[in-house]
Amino acid sequence: MPAPLQNVTHACFGLSYLLALGLELARLRWPRPAYRVAGLAFGAAGLVAHSLFLAYHHPSPAAPYGALLTVAWVLAVFSFYGALHHGRQAWAVFVLPLVLGLLALAFVSQPAPDDPSPGLPGWLTGDRFWGAVHGILLVLAAVGVSVGFLASVMYLIQAGRLRAKANPLGGLKMLSLERLEAMNRRAVNAAFPLLTLGLLLGAVLSGQSADPAGSWLSLKALGTVGLWVVFLVLFYLRYAAHVPGRRLAVLTVAAFGLMVVVLAANHPFAPGGGP
Amino acid sequence: MNLRAVGCNFRTAAVALRERLAFDGPTLERAVAELAARFGGEAAVLGTCNRVELYVARGEGERPFDAGLAAEFLAEVHGLPAEAVLPHLYEHADAEAVRHLCRVAASLDSLIVGEGQIAGQVKQAFELAQKLGTTGPLLNALFPHALRAAKRVRTETGIAQGHVSVSSVAVDYCRQVFDHFGDKTVLVIGAGKMGRLTLKHLRGLRPGRILVTNRNPERAAEVAAGCGGEPVPWEQLDDALAGADVVLSTTGAPDPVVPRRRFEERVRPRRSGTLVVLDIAVPRDFDPAIHDGDRVCLFNIDDLTRVREQTLAERRRHAGPAEAIVEQEVRRFVEDWARRRSGPVIGRLHAEASKLRAEVLAPLLAKLNGKLTPEERKAVEYAFQLYQNKLLHGPIAALQEASRQGEGPTLLEAIKKLFRLGE
Repeated sequence: MPAPLQNVTHACFGLSYLLALGLELARLRWPRPAYRVAGLAFGAAGLVAHSLFLAYHHPSPAAPYGALLTVAWVLAVFSFYGALHHGRQAWAVFVLPLVLGLLALAFVSQPAPDDPSPGLPGWLTGDRFWGAVHGILLVLAAVGVSVGFLASVMYLIQAGRLRAKANPLGGLKMLSLERLEAMNRRAVNAAFPLLTLGLLLGAVLSGQSADPAGSWLSLKALGTVGLWVVFLVLFYLRYAAHVPGRRLAVLTVAAFGLMVVVLAANHPFAPGGGP
Repeated sequence: MNLRAVGCNFRTAAVALRERLAFDGPTLERAVAELAARFGGEAAVLGTCNRVELYVARGEGERPFDAGLAAEFLAEVHGLPAEAVLPHLYEHADAEAVRHLCRVAASLDSLIVGEGQIAGQVKQAFELAQKLGTTGPLLNALFPHALRAAKRVRTETGIAQGHVSVSSVAVDYCRQVFDHFGDKTVLVIGAGKMGRLTLKHLRGLRPGRILVTNRNPERAAEVAAGCGGEPVPWEQLDDALAGADVVLSTTGAPDPVVPRRRFEERVRPRRSGTLVVLDIAVPRDFDPAIHDGDRVCLFNIDDLTRVREQTLAERRRHAGPAEAIVEQEVRRFVEDWARRRSGPVIGRLHAEASKLRAEVLAPLLAKLNGKLTPEERKAVEYAFQLYQNKLLHGPIAALQEASRQGEGPTLLEAIKKLFRLGE
């Protein structure tokens, strides 16, 4: 890898995303095209820096630091895509705070300097391989839950505005209830099989570990099981009980809370993490 | 600049007079051509349902076009006495005329501030004048500048945001709930006049199905035929409500058609998706208590009117920043125009002075040939150049200042005479 990539730090992409968010917020007050262009430029700059950082440091997705950074990166791509394709909607205003929140969480959970990542060949080979696959499945499921969370937050705000009979074209520009509900449904539908696979793989790995009971009682394992149960409830309420969209949105927000716990908790199969 | 904007609008003339002064297609073309031919300058006519305005630019020093001439012209074209027209005309001169056109194009002078049609109408007036060959340097610069100013106002302020008709607001609410309408069913209950207008807007969403129900089956069939819908017997109202996505209710019934109990017992349990109810009947047809903003979104005429008033108030709030943009653009246009007018004269003044300098300097340098070092020769040439610049600085600065204040033409002529600058 070229040496200049060493100089790309958390601050490079964190501050770029922060500036992009600031410009998006300014655009709500002063709707000038220049703010949109500048916001997109900073968003793109942050994304490039973030990608270079991941490519250079390739943190393990099985550890909290790598998992959070990877989920934040996928959401940054989602934010940039949405900002390009839904220029009239206040898309980035919702996605970028989540990206920044995950980055902040990643920053505080980054490994000590003397505990470097084993590197790409390290965490995808040998006895760490299945642990890494388990981590990747959970990270992908986390992306789905995050998208579902964003759709749910937007749904709750949109439903709140409709309930209050607010000016339909005033304030934040939002997607329709129907679109947000569909986004939530697709995200949850995609995340559930990944989560189930990740959970099954985790169960097998835990059975092979030196302390199976300890593995199951870890915060990460308990959180993942809790998340899976919440998903099951979500499916029942959506497809069997046909409950209103607002209640499903609230439950998805709760699922996201559990997911953050799962991501931030140390992994029993990750290097340097867990029992 | 010898520009005049003369006309009348909804503030100065009643609709009866505006109707008589309105131009249709062929009359408008004849009027624009006649206006330019008669007054020997550039001409354009802006005619909308709310205004008739004549923009005429004549040569410097010619008698400006004015309200009297405009009244005579309009009276002659429309067969009216000039005295009936003149009191209703306003007149804007030069920079004021520029400001007026910018404000008109930016919809700051409209009956509904921020409405979007006027910029297109200004563009059409300009394109027609261009097609007829009645525009020249001034109008060719002015109209595009006014349209740019209008675009700035629309994009940099919120003056054009939102809709100000009840029907449009109703459609906006539907769009907040649904993303696409091809698979949606619209149910129309009743057949009020306001309902027909809203239905016209809803049809623009291209719903998959339109059902119409009415206590009078013939009336339902008539409305259904007019909108490409299907009539539904009044007795099947509950079934239709259970299957509908958007309901437009506009009956003249004295009591609620769908009280809360009826809705909760016979409709809600049979529904799965969200229902939007647009209850624009007075008295109301639906109990407002069924609204929850999630499964049922109900908007009655008061809700829609309130949003309309909010939008108008919001647009008025943006009028200040919009006027500031117009002021900037007027100043920019007047300065650019002045620069275009005085630029060639300043160029000739410089050329004439340089020629004189060369005529004086050449014999002097010839006389001193061999007695000056190259540095001394350069110093002499520089001193003459400096003298010329300092001498011309005063008149040029005064000319530029006068041009900015609209007093350019007189001083321009004076400078041409004083320095004997030919045309």
